[in-house]
Amino acid sequence: MNIIVCVKNVPFTQEVDLVLDASKQDVKKDNLVYVINEWDNYAIEEAIRIKEETGGHVTAVTLGKEADEEVLRRCLAMGADEAIRVERGDLNPDASMIAAILSAVVKTIPHDIILTGVQSDDLNNGITGSLIAERLGLVHAAVVNSLKISEGKAQISIELEGGQDEMSQVTLPALFAIQTGINEPRYVSIMGIRKASKKEIKVIDASGLGLPGEDLQPSLIMEEMFMPPETEGAEMLQGDAGSLADQIIRIIREKGVSL
Amino acid sequence: MAKILVIAEHRNNELREITLQMLNKASELCRANGHELYAAILGNNIEGLISGLKEWADKVIVYNDPRLKDFNPDNYRDVLTALINEQKPIVTFLGHTPWSMDLAPGLSVKTGFPLATDCVDITMDSGRPKVVRQVYSGKIFSRMAFRDASGYLITVRAGAFPAAKAFDYQAEIIQGAMPDLVTQGRREFMGYRDTCKGEVDITQAELLVSIGRGIGEQDNIPQVQELAGIMGGTLSCSRPVVDKKWLPKYHQVGTSGKSVKPKVYLALGISGAFQHVAGISGAGTVIAVNKDKKAPIFRVAHYGAVADLLNVAAALKEKVSVK
Amino acid sequence: MPIARIHFWGIDSKYLFYILVGISVAVFLLGVYSRVSVWLAAVNREKVIVSREGILNLLMDGLFGRRIFKGDLIAGLMHFFIMWGFIGLFLGTVLSTTDYWIIHFLSGDVYLIYSFCLEILGLMFIAGLLTALIRRYIARVSRLDNQAQDLWILVLLFFCVLTGFMVEGVRLAVNMPEGESVSFGGVIFSSLPSSKEQAEAVYPIIWWVHSLASLFLVAWFPFSKLFHVLAGPVNIYMASQPEAVVSRDEESPEGPGFLFRDMINFSACTRCGRCNEVCPSASAMEPFSPREFIAQANEYTRLRYNPLSRIKWFREKLIKSVSALPEISPEQIWYCTTCRACLEVCPIYIGAFEPIRRVRTSEIEEGSRVPNLLTKSLETLYMFDNPWERSKKKRGEWFGDLAVPDLTAGAKADLCYFVGCTTSFDTRAQGLARSFVKIMTHAGVSFGTLGQKETCCGDIARRVGEEGLFEEQVKKTMGLLKTYGIADLVASSPHCFNLFRNEYPLYQSPGATPLRVRHYTQVLEELMERGLIKPVKRMDLRVTYHDPCYLGRYNNIYQAPRRLIRSIPGVSLVEMAHYGPDSLCCGGGGGRLWQELEDEKKLSEVRIREAADTGADIVITTCPYCLIMLEDAVKTADLEGRLRVMDLNELIAESLGLGEEGEESTIG
Ligand SMILES: Cc1cc2nc3c(=O)[nH]c(=O)nc-3n(C[C@H](O)[C@H](O)[C@H](O)COP(=O)(O)OP(=O)(O)OC[C@H]3O[C@@H](n4cnc5c(N)ncnc54)[C@H](O)[C@@H]3O)c2cc1C
Ligand code: SF4
Ligand code: SF4
Repeated sequence: MNIIVCVKNVPFTQEVDLVLDASKQDVKKDNLVYVINEWDNYAIEEAIRIKEETGGHVTAVTLGKEADEEVLRRCLAMGADEAIRVERGDLNPDASMIAAILSAVVKTIPHDIILTGVQSDDLNNGITGSLIAERLGLVHAAVVNSLKISEGKAQISIELEGGQDEMSQVTLPALFAIQTGINEPRYVSIMGIRKASKKEIKVIDASGLGLPGEDLQPSLIMEEMFMPPETEGAEMLQGDAGSLADQIIRIIREKGVSL
Repeated sequence: MAKILVIAEHRNNELREITLQMLNKASELCRANGHELYAAILGNNIEGLISGLKEWADKVIVYNDPRLKDFNPDNYRDVLTALINEQKPIVTFLGHTPWSMDLAPGLSVKTGFPLATDCVDITMDSGRPKVVRQVYSGKIFSRMAFRDASGYLITVRAGAFPAAKAFDYQAEIIQGAMPDLVTQGRREFMGYRDTCKGEVDITQAELLVSIGRGIGEQDNIPQVQELAGIMGGTLSCSRPVVDKKWLPKYHQVGTSGKSVKPKVYLALGISGAFQHVAGISGAGTVIAVNKDKKAPIFRVAHYGAVADLLNVAAALKEKVSVK
Repeated sequence: MPIARIHFWGIDSKYLFYILVGISVAVFLLGVYSRVSVWLAAVNREKVIVSREGILNLLMDGLFGRRIFKGDLIAGLMHFFIMWGFIGLFLGTVLSTTDYWIIHFLSGDVYLIYSFCLEILGLMFIAGLLTALIRRYIARVSRLDNQAQDLWILVLLFFCVLTGFMVEGVRLAVNMPEGESVSFGGVIFSSLPSSKEQAEAVYPIIWWVHSLASLFLVAWFPFSKLFHVLAGPVNIYMASQPEAVVSRDEESPEGPGFLFRDMINFSACTRCGRCNEVCPSASAMEPFSPREFIAQANEYTRLRYNPLSRIKWFREKLIKSVSALPEISPEQIWYCTTCRACLEVCPIYIGAFEPIRRVRTSEIEEGSRVPNLLTKSLETLYMFDNPWERSKKKRGEWFGDLAVPDLTAGAKADLCYFVGCTTSFDTRAQGLARSFVKIMTHAGVSFGTLGQKETCCGDIARRVGEEGLFEEQVKKTMGLLKTYGIADLVASSPHCFNLFRNEYPLYQSPGATPLRVRHYTQVLEELMERGLIKPVKRMDLRVTYHDPCYLGRYNNIYQAPRRLIRSIPGVSLVEMAHYGPDSLCCGGGGGRLWQELEDEKKLSEVRIREAADTGADIVITTCPYCLIMLEDAVKTADLEGRLRVMDLNELIAESLGLGEEGEESTIG
C-alpha cells in the first residue's frame, strides 16, 4: 500500500493575538511559532496506522521553504518512510496553485491512497485535497472521519452536518481529506525528531515541474486583510467572578429561564 | 442577461437552510445588477422539493434521475459541469458544506472557473464578484478578488445570510438533460449513520451550559456538569471536547454536531469558531465566558465576560445553590 | 568415643554424595551466571566507584538489616534470625568440611563450643522461619502477597533444619559422647528412636533426606527469591553510587534502556511489599504498584536477556515466551509520582521510580500510548518553553504592581530568583512569588529575575522520560544563565531546585564553576539567622507542614521550613501522621499534574484529610505543585472554611506585615 500524505507547516494562532503586517496582506508572523497543521497531524497518523496494519510505504509531501522541513521531520519521526519538500521559491501560492503543484508532484509517485487534512489552520480554504484529486482524476471524499482499508477498497464515513455521517465505499486509488478526531495522533519525541533529521529529505523545485503558466497564477487575489469590525459583539460584563455570576444569573432569569 | 446560479442542497427530502440563505443573497445581487437568478436541484423523486424553490428564483432547473438519488461527487460534478457550460452563469453559488467541499473543486477543475470558498460576504464590482472570507479561524477577515474568468464559483458559509425571501418570484421549471456520466461507481453510497443519538437531547434544552477546549482537562467537567444540573440546564460542548472523548458525541454543538435553540446559551471557554457558532444561531441569548478578550465568540455573543471559566462556574454554583 | 566431629557416620556412598554436591553447585553457578548476565546486558554500564556511604550501608543494612527493623520490629527480628541462622549453619558446614578435608580441629572443647553454637543458630533459624510462616499464613500481614515460592522456600528451609536436628539426634541415640549434651536440640531427638538398632537403620535415610533437601535448595537458590541474598548487598552498595547520565542518543536501541543498577534492582527484590504500603498511588488503589512493576520488569529482563539465548534451540523457545510475556504493562508507568517514598522504605534500596522513568522514555519514543494531556503539555513546553500556557508573554504577569528587577534588562544583582513555570503561570502559585519578592525587598537583599526570558528547567520532561526535550531545556537554561553571568540561584520550586542542584551538574562540562543553588526556604532561614527578617506579628494559629518530596526526601531539607514556621510568634506546629522522610506525596509530581489517567484517584485528598485530622487551621507547604494540588483538594474534599493552604512565603510575609491587601483578615 503506497500512501502519500500532504502536510503543511502553519503558524500556531490559537490563543495568540494576531496583528496585521504593514502590507495588510497577511498577519505579522515573526513572533509566531510554527506547527504541523492540526488536520494534517491526524492525516499522517492515519497513514502510519494503515501502514502498521497492512504494511506499505508512507511519503510525506509539503510545499514550502526550507524552514518548513520541520514538519517533514516530524512526519518521518512518526514513521513516514520518505519525505519530499517542494521548494516554492518566490511563489505565494493560493489553494488552486498548491493543488496544481502538489498534484504534479504526486503524479510521479506511486500511490494507492493520498491523504490530506480537511483544511489548513491559516487560510481555511478546505479544498486543496479535492482539487488535487480532481486534477489527477482520482475519486475522493472530503471530511473523512473513519477509514478502513480492505481488498483495494476503502470503507469510509464522511462527516456531514447535524451529527450525521455518510457511509460510503470507495475503490482505490483515492484521495481522502481527513477530519480531526479520526484517531489520536501519537506523541513525537525530540529524540525522534533528531533521529529523523538524519534522514534525507528530497527537494523538488516547483518551477521545474513543467506546469503551464496559468497553473502558477493565483485564482484569487488578496486585496486586503482586516481585523473583524469592533462594533459588533457582546456587551461586556465587568467585575470579579462573584459579581459576574450575579449578572449572568440575572440575565438568564430575564430571558425567561427559571433557575 | 447575465445569470447567477444557485445549487440547491437537500437531504432527507428537505431543502437545507443554506439553500435559502444563498438564494437570499443571490436575489439581492441579481436585483442590484440586473441579473437573472437560476436555481438548480439534483436528485431522484424530488418533485416535492421543487415547489419549495418556485418562489425563490427566476428559473429552476431540475435533474430528476435515479442515478442522482444519493450524493456522488463524480455524477453531480458531471451534471453540473454540463449545466454550467450550457447556461454560462457569471457566478455559481454552492453552500460551504461537506457536500460541496467534495463537489466545488471538481467543478472548478472541469469548468476552469476560479473558486472561492467559505465566503461570508459577496459583492459585485463591475461584473466581477468580490468576496470576504475569514482566515486564521475567524480571527482575521480578508477581502479577495478573482482573476479574470468567464465565470466564478463561490461557496457560501452557512448562516452568513438570512434564509428570508428578499423578493417574490414565480419560477419557470426546466427539466435538465442528463449528460453522459463517465466515472460512475467509484464511490458508492452505503447509507447514513446518526452519530448524535444518545441519552441527552441538547436540541430541546432551554438553557445550555456549554464547554469548549478552555475547560482544560477532563477532571474539570464534572464540576460544570453539576452546575448545569443545579441550574436546570443541559451540558453541551464544542468539538474538541468530543474529539478527546471527554463527552459523548451527542453533547456536541455545531455543524458536525447539533444545531440548538435554547433561550440562553452559556459558552464557557469556547473560542467561537464558525463551525461551532453555526450551531447556535437559533439561540435566544448567548453569554460567553472566555479568558481571551479577543476571542471571536464575543462577536456573536450578546453578553461577554473576560474571566477564567472555572472561577465563574464555581461562583455560579455557589450562588445558584444558595438561591 | 572421642569428642570430635563425626563425618559420614555410617554413610557408605560418600562418592554419590559428592557427585550430587557437584551437580547442585554447578546448577547454582549456572543460575548465578545467568542472572549476572542479565545485569551485564544493561545499557551504559556505569563505572562502580568505592563509596564510604556504600560500605557503611552495606554493614548496617546488609549485616544488621537496619531498614528491615524500621517500622516493623517483628519483621526485623524474623529476618535477623533467618539470616544469621542461615549464615551460621552455612558457616558451620564450611567449618566441618574444612575439618574433614584440610585440618582436623573440631575436637574437644572447640568441638563442643562449635556444636553448641550450631544448636543456638539452628534454633534461631527455626524461630525465624516459624515467625515468617505465622506472619504469612496465620497473621496474614497485608503487605505480603503469598506466592508459591514463598511457601516452598520457608517449608524447605524449615525441613532442612529440622532434618538436620534429627540426623544429629539419631546419631546421638546410638552413641552419646561425653559433653555432647550441649547439643540440646539433637538430644531432644535422640529419644525418638526406640532402640539403637532402629536408630542405626533410620539414620542413613534421614541423612540422605536432609542432604538432598539441602542440595536442592542450593541449586534452586539463584532461580528463586533467595537470590536476594547475593543481589541485595550489591544493590545496597550500588544505591549510594552517584546518579548516572543516561545519554540516550539517536542510536539507542528500542525498548527501555535499563541501567546496570536497574537490573540489579529487579533481581534483588523480595516482594516484601513495603514499597506498596507507602506508595501514594498503590495505597490509593490506583491500578499501579511499584512491587508489581519491579516483578514484571524482573520477569521481562530475565527472559529477554537470558544468556541461554545464545544457543539456538533455547533462543527459539525464549523468543516464544518473551513474545507471549506481557510487556511491562505500559499503562501503569504513568501513575508513579516519583515521590521517592518507596526508596525510603525498601530494605535494599530499590526505588521503582528510576527504572519506571526508563520505561517512560521508551513509551515517549514510541509515542502512541502517551496520555493525552501529557502530549499536549510536552508540545506546549517545546513550543512555548513552559508546560502551561501557549504563550511566552505571560511569564512576567505575576509581577503586577511589584517592582521586580529584571537581570535580562540591565538590572544588576548577585542573586538570581528563578521563579519557575508553575509559579509564574498558575494564578494561585503566583502568590508564592509575590510574597517572596516582598520579603526579599523588605530584607534589603539585592536580587533579580530573568523576566520573560526565563526558561523551563525541564522538570516535567525529565520526570516523564522525555530525555530529548529535557536535554534541550538544560542547554537552553544553562545558556541563559551563562549569558547573564548567573552564579547564585534561588528557586521557588523544589523541582527546579533539585534539578539545578543534582541533575544539571551531570550535564555541565567538567571544570565549569558549579552554580550555587538554594531553595527559598534556605535563603529565608539564612535571612532570619542574620536578623534581616524578624517575624513580629503575632498569629495565634495551629499549622501543619507538608514536606514536598523534592525538598524532603530528594534533598533532605526538613528542618529549615519548620524552624521558620516556629519563629513566628503565636504559631504552633503540629505534625501529620506522615511527615519528614515518611511524608505522603500530594500527587502532583512525576508529571502527574499534566496527565489524566484512567481510574486515577485524587491523591491530594488523602493528604489533605491527614492535614485536616491534625486540627490545624492552615497547612503550609513550600512547593508550588503541592500548593495547587492541596488547594484543589481542600475544595474537592469539602474542607473549605475549615482548612487553608498557604505557601510558607505567604505566611512569613504575613507575619512581617507584608501580606496581600485584603488577605490579612482571612488569617487567624
Ligand atoms: C468540517 C469541520 C466541522 C467542525 N464541526 C464542529 C462542530 O460541530 N462543533 C464545534 O464546536 N467545532 C467544530 N469544528 C472545529 C472548529 O473549527 C474549532 O476547532 C472548535 O470549535 C474549537 O473549539 P473550542 O472553541 O472549544 O476550542 P478553542 O478554539 O481551542 O478555544 C478554547 C477557548 O477557551 C479559552 N480558554 C482557555 N482556557 C480558559 C479558561 N480557563 N477560562 C476561560 N476561557 C478559557 C481560550 O481563550 C479559547 O478561546 C469543525 C471543524 C471542521 C473543519
Ligand atoms: S522493591 Fe523493595 S520494598 Fe518493594 S517489594 Fe521489592 S524489596 Fe520490598
Ligand atoms: S516513587 Fe512514590 S509513587 Fe513512585 S513508585 Fe515509589 S512510592 Fe510509588
